[in-house]
Amino acid sequence: MIGYKFLRADGSTVFSGFSWPLPGSEPGPWVEVPVHPCRSGIHACRAGDLSYWVGETLYEIELDGEIVEQRHKVIASRGRLLRRVRAWEDGLRDEFTRMCANRAHEIARAEPVLTALDEDIEPSISDGPAMLGFMAAAIAEERGGMDAYRAERERQAAWLAERLRS
Amino acid sequence: MRDHHLTCQEIVELVTDYLEYALDSETAAQFEEHINFCDGCAAYLGQMRAAIETVGSVEPEDVPQETLDGLLVAFREWKRT
Repeated sequence: MIGYKFLRADGSTVFSGFSWPLPGSEPGPWVEVPVHPCRSGIHACRAGDLSYWVGETLYEIELDGEIVEQRHKVIASRGRLLRRVRAWEDGLRDEFTRMCANRAHEIARAEPVLTALDEDIEPSISDGPAMLGFMAAAIAEERGGMDAYRAERERQAAWLAERLRS
Repeated sequence: MRDHHLTCQEIVELVTDYLEYALDSETAAQFEEHINFCDGCAAYLGQMRAAIETVGSVEPEDVPQETLDGLLVAFREWKRT
């Protein structure tokens, strides 16, 4: 199975701090960890989960062995990084941030009660794509509850998946 | 599962359970989702991990008697307040 994995710029993970062996012209070496969801295992995401986990760098990852699929992530017993998705750093990350900001403005300006939130959007741009993705979804949640939050996250993921395919 | 995304206050309340793998999978996923976009909470989680790592490597015999006595007094006073 091929999935995606966001890492920090130095190749470490946000949650455990594990430093992944990075790919060069060839895939990186296999990493093996027993699967215990939320405890251990190779955590990755599908295209539809991308918006929940955006980070500094993006890699394609090959998963193998025992694979457990959960609502917003996939956990496997084996994985190796196949390639760095340079498009993410070469513009897509900033485009995603801008798209989320525009969307957050659109939702906030549609409801008079949410206009105060509109003022927080532009100053948050420097916080990056993960924060802006959250803000757009959280403003949608203010308008339509948790279903609207999830719908906005799905919309963001579809936007990303479409551009990663092309 | 909660019917809202987690707040920073809830992250602080849940961080120990997260580090002890005591959260159900949905709450753990919501916890990680928050950590992913919130630099402040990500830093807090990192500090907690570092503190646990440091304290976890200290054996009781490594702690000076004076420090142990001071800690016992502090805990007893804390329980009274």
